[in-house]
Amino acid sequence: MSLIEVEAGGGDHLIVNRIGQLRFRRRGRDRILAGVAGGLADTLGVSDAFVRAAFVTLGMVWGLGVLVYLAMWLMALDRVEDTQPEPVATHQAVGLGLAFAGSLLFLGALGWWPSNALVITVGALSFGTAALTDRNMPGPLAALVDPSVDRPGRLRMLVGVALLIGGLAVFSSSVGPISGIGPVVLAVALTGFGILVAFGPWVTRLAQDLSTERRERIRQEERAEMAAHLHDSVLQTLALIQRSDDPARMSILARHQESELRDWLYGNAPIDGSDLLSTALKASARRIEADHQVPIDVVVVGDHPLNEDTRALLGAASEAMVNASKHSGAERISLYFEAEDNELVVYVTDQGKGFEPAGVAGDRRGIAESIKGRVERAGGAADIDSEPGEGTEVVLRMPVAAG
Amino acid sequence: MRVKVYLVDDHRLFLAGVRAELSEAFSIVGSAYDVDTAIEEIRGLEPDVVLIDVHMPDGGGIVVVEGVGETNPEVKFLALSVSDQAEDVIGMIRAGARGYVTKTIEPADLADAVRRIDAGDAVFSPRLAGFVLDAFAGVMPTEEDPELDQLTTREKDVLRLIARGFAYKQVARKLNISIKTVETHVSSVLRKLQLTNRHELARWASKRRIV
Repeated sequence: MSLIEVEAGGGDHLIVNRIGQLRFRRRGRDRILAGVAGGLADTLGVSDAFVRAAFVTLGMVWGLGVLVYLAMWLMALDRVEDTQPEPVATHQAVGLGLAFAGSLLFLGALGWWPSNALVITVGALSFGTAALTDRNMPGPLAALVDPSVDRPGRLRMLVGVALLIGGLAVFSSSVGPISGIGPVVLAVALTGFGILVAFGPWVTRLAQDLSTERRERIRQEERAEMAAHLHDSVLQTLALIQRSDDPARMSILARHQESELRDWLYGNAPIDGSDLLSTALKASARRIEADHQVPIDVVVVGDHPLNEDTRALLGAASEAMVNASKHSGAERISLYFEAEDNELVVYVTDQGKGFEPAGVAGDRRGIAESIKGRVERAGGAADIDSEPGEGTEVVLRMPVAAG
Repeated sequence: MRVKVYLVDDHRLFLAGVRAELSEAFSIVGSAYDVDTAIEEIRGLEPDVVLIDVHMPDGGGIVVVEGVGETNPEVKFLALSVSDQAEDVIGMIRAGARGYVTKTIEPADLADAVRRIDAGDAVFSPRLAGFVLDAFAGVMPTEEDPELDQLTTREKDVLRLIARGFAYKQVARKLNISIKTVETHVSSVLRKLQLTNRHELARWASKRRIV
């Protein structure tokens, strides 16, 4: 008894100390009623489950717990704040516990409670539950075999289980006979309760672990896919650029990589876009850019499905881009495509040296044929507008049914 | 008096490059790597033109354009970005930038764009012209403000020529109008783009996963 008093004194001292720097606030998060117990737990630095158990136990002493709770609620009526609790040291926590037990015994000695059995049962049950429902513990039975749980943790489990069994024993020996519930029913109910307390937290935690693990796995897979893609594309290109000493070639590689990465990052390239004229034009421009090392700026307005007629348009446009790349000497080429209400128009423009359309040499008739002929056979029209020194513009038009 | 230019870009190497390219023709009054410094310094220095990057930590260029626009509406912004994503382009223009060019622009063209912005003009790159045509394509004017809701034929002609890669001078010659008229058309397109609250623009944006 003297030991308890000394320890209880220490505990009181501790409490006084804590109260000295006490700025008690109610807690906003993780609260059950008004956040009083949580706030007190944060202030004292102990687990909130124990503080709740203390309130419940005190509640059995003619409702003292309820009174204290309401008083503290009033005290901190306008103070709700979440603080980072500083965990109290183990010996201080034990001191606090002993102080609480001491004051309970004191109340009991004064005869201030209605029934020993009630206080002991409720106290043992609530503290036992509190000991077993630590948020960081997997659950009592699992904890006993889990190597990651430290010794105090295990001790705490054992104490919790002992308290539960004790509380249930007192309950069944005092309440059972009074209420006249059959011992079998009582035993079954108590066993069920025991299993729930023992395994409940473990099962919830297991489920949580499973979903966390699945999320983690999905993230890992995404990261692996991204790493693989970056390796295949960006890193390879960077390596190529490092080995290359031709600035034009480097610039093309960089542009090519940039547009590819952009498509990949922003999902620009529609997955089913291969049957669209705009996608086909962009792809063709990119290929020609890579082959001939002249940048092509592509601007697309509207879109149209790819069919036999528009394929002719695509082919002619590609031919015009190749010509501009090979012969114009321009630093860059523009491809502009617009789908208007009743016709598709493609402009391939360069600011290069241009030529005299009337004086096209015989060997370049193939160009006229492959561009003009192709479009005209499909029902469209092609105009080549060029002057020496003024650049060249190829205009391709293809009528389409409105809508 | 030389045009006062302020640079904002979180990519320091790029910033140094732009500074070197522009410092001959313009007076570079300052530069910033982050949004907060940029807003504070621009308010204090009151430059004529700010070259602003789109993607930066803490909200990016849009935050700077809007933040400065509240207190110093006379400061003009030219967005300069590696991105030619529609959401970036339209976002910057709607926030109040007077122009948008990508970082692949030639130094001479960039200097020209800064001069144009300083003169109160709008600067449209071919890609931006394409976006605008696309956004305004095939829509009926609403009853609220039919003028804002569509581009005039002439404005479309100008935008198409810009989208085809022609400089303003060439656009003017092709359409047989003066450069001043081309500039007027481009400015009025910019105004429509900034003021219009057509649902179609929102739908166009959402169709392209912009909003």
